[in-house]
Amino acid sequence: MLASTALNLGSLGSCIVTVSAHSCHKPSLLLPFVALPKPFNGSCNSSWKLTTPFKTAVAAVDSSQPAQQQDTEKKKYYFLVANAKFMLDEEEHFQEQLFERLRLFGERNMEQDFWLVIEPKFLDKFPNITKRLKRPAVALVSTNGPWITFMKLRLDRVLQESYEADSLEEALACTPVSLKFEKPEKWVAPYPKYESEWWTPFLPPGSQTSKV
Amino acid sequence: MSSATTSQAAAEKGSKASTKKGIKETLLTPRFYTTDFDEMTDFEEMEPLFNTDQAEFEALLQEFKTDYNQTHFVRNKEFKEAADKMQGALREIFVEFLERSCTAEFSGFLLYKELGRRLKKTNPVVAEIFSLMSRDEARHAGFLNKGLSDFNLALDLGFLTKARKYTFFKPKFIFYATYLSEKIGYWRYITIYRHLKANPEFQCYPIFKYFENWCQDENRHGDFFSALLKAQPQFLNDWKAKLWSRFFCLSVYVTMYLNDWQRTAFYEGIGLNTKEFDMHVIIETNRTTARIFPAVLDVENPEFKRKLDRMVEINQKILAVGETDDIPLVKNFKRIPLIAALASELLAAYLMKPIESGSVDFAEFEPQLVY
Repeated sequence: MLASTALNLGSLGSCIVTVSAHSCHKPSLLLPFVALPKPFNGSCNSSWKLTTPFKTAVAAVDSSQPAQQQDTEKKKYYFLVANAKFMLDEEEHFQEQLFERLRLFGERNMEQDFWLVIEPKFLDKFPNITKRLKRPAVALVSTNGPWITFMKLRLDRVLQESYEADSLEEALACTPVSLKFEKPEKWVAPYPKYESEWWTPFLPPGSQTSKV
Repeated sequence: MSSATTSQAAAEKGSKASTKKGIKETLLTPRFYTTDFDEMTDFEEMEPLFNTDQAEFEALLQEFKTDYNQTHFVRNKEFKEAADKMQGALREIFVEFLERSCTAEFSGFLLYKELGRRLKKTNPVVAEIFSLMSRDEARHAGFLNKGLSDFNLALDLGFLTKARKYTFFKPKFIFYATYLSEKIGYWRYITIYRHLKANPEFQCYPIFKYFENWCQDENRHGDFFSALLKAQPQFLNDWKAKLWSRFFCLSVYVTMYLNDWQRTAFYEGIGLNTKEFDMHVIIETNRTTARIFPAVLDVENPEFKRKLDRMVEINQKILAVGETDDIPLVKNFKRIPLIAALASELLAAYLMKPIESGSVDFAEFEPQLVY
């Protein structure tokens, strides 16, 4: 029989205490190792291939001034999608994760690169997905591909794909929809369910909040 | 930190350790479980299993490197103040909770650290993930150990060093069991956190306020084991995998239920109904586990809880036998029918009709799914 919270090995050296106390304060892995999401202005980095057919004079002349390319270069967006009830009502750990990530970005002054999009317009490009989808659907969208891969691992019951768009507005365009979720028939937790509308901070910038 | 208490306790244990056999369980004796094993062989068998290079592991590595809780585990003066207010039975049971949790986290720290060390050449990505997980566990354990110091205690590490046994489970034990224990750890911590948030009058010690961020670490650790299982489909795709899945689910759920009932005063002390708390954790853990294990238990079937409750009663009787003044032979004799009854309940629970489950990446029912 195994311990309920973790495997117990029971082999501890007295040095462990100092190691653990030390590692509490040690800034073990600092920002240089964090795969920061690509800055929103579309600046190039070595892993981003230019796939667009549009070549402006700027791009041809000087790739060390990437900021000037932002309006003409397509950017890749990765997403996971499932029905709204699953994404917004059933997976309470998902909500915790998103708030955790938002807090982290705030702490480290990182620009938000992940959004929840309700009834996204880009789904029109994916008939193979929409035919298997209950509507209304909600997508988690990010420019950070590996993070979306991680979220797929976590959520599992979602469909994963990617697309390109010229601008954030185009990427996150959506159809306003009102969402109302029924209270669960059975609730055995010793705490109340999370409130509705928690997703507001994650909606695309400037979009309307969905009404309950 | 009072050195008198710890050194006295250490001296007691030192003398008992030398005469050996049963060590009387005192509050400061960390509980741990060991299995027999042949160290090198198992690791040699294990290494090929970690030969993976999928995108999921790179994604996990990035996630762990992010280090969400880097600055989270910071104490304040509330801790000592709260500890000083706690007296009597509640204080005792609290200390036991801290000590058991600390031991569990330390065990995780050691396991992951060792795996991180050993797998460096075989699979550097996986090795680094293990090291980062050991970073998390060390942080958790250190925080709990500091909590113990509020009660003028500390884990008796000297004793543990003497009793040290490095035990490694067979790979499928590690994968299934650790996945479950991390995910159940997440659900336990988040449930306690959310319950206390809704019922702040039971917030008798500030450590619970840290649980919300803390348990995200556990959840991520579980995700890593999920990826390890997916990288070895033989652990997920046949009838043997289903039997093992059910076995580990049952082991972990029953262990928790029986352990928690023995310590019901702690859960009641923070305002929880112990059995309801456990059932909620079991149901949610099971639902989470259904995203990866090919079969899980039908824990929402009322018969499952009835069996668990019968196991609690039998276990209480077994413990009661231990407390009597009979000679060991008589005690063992009395225990036999009780242990048989317990085994029978366990078997019956194991044989209950399971629920088909699994990741959509592998499950047979995937084509019928509507997302």
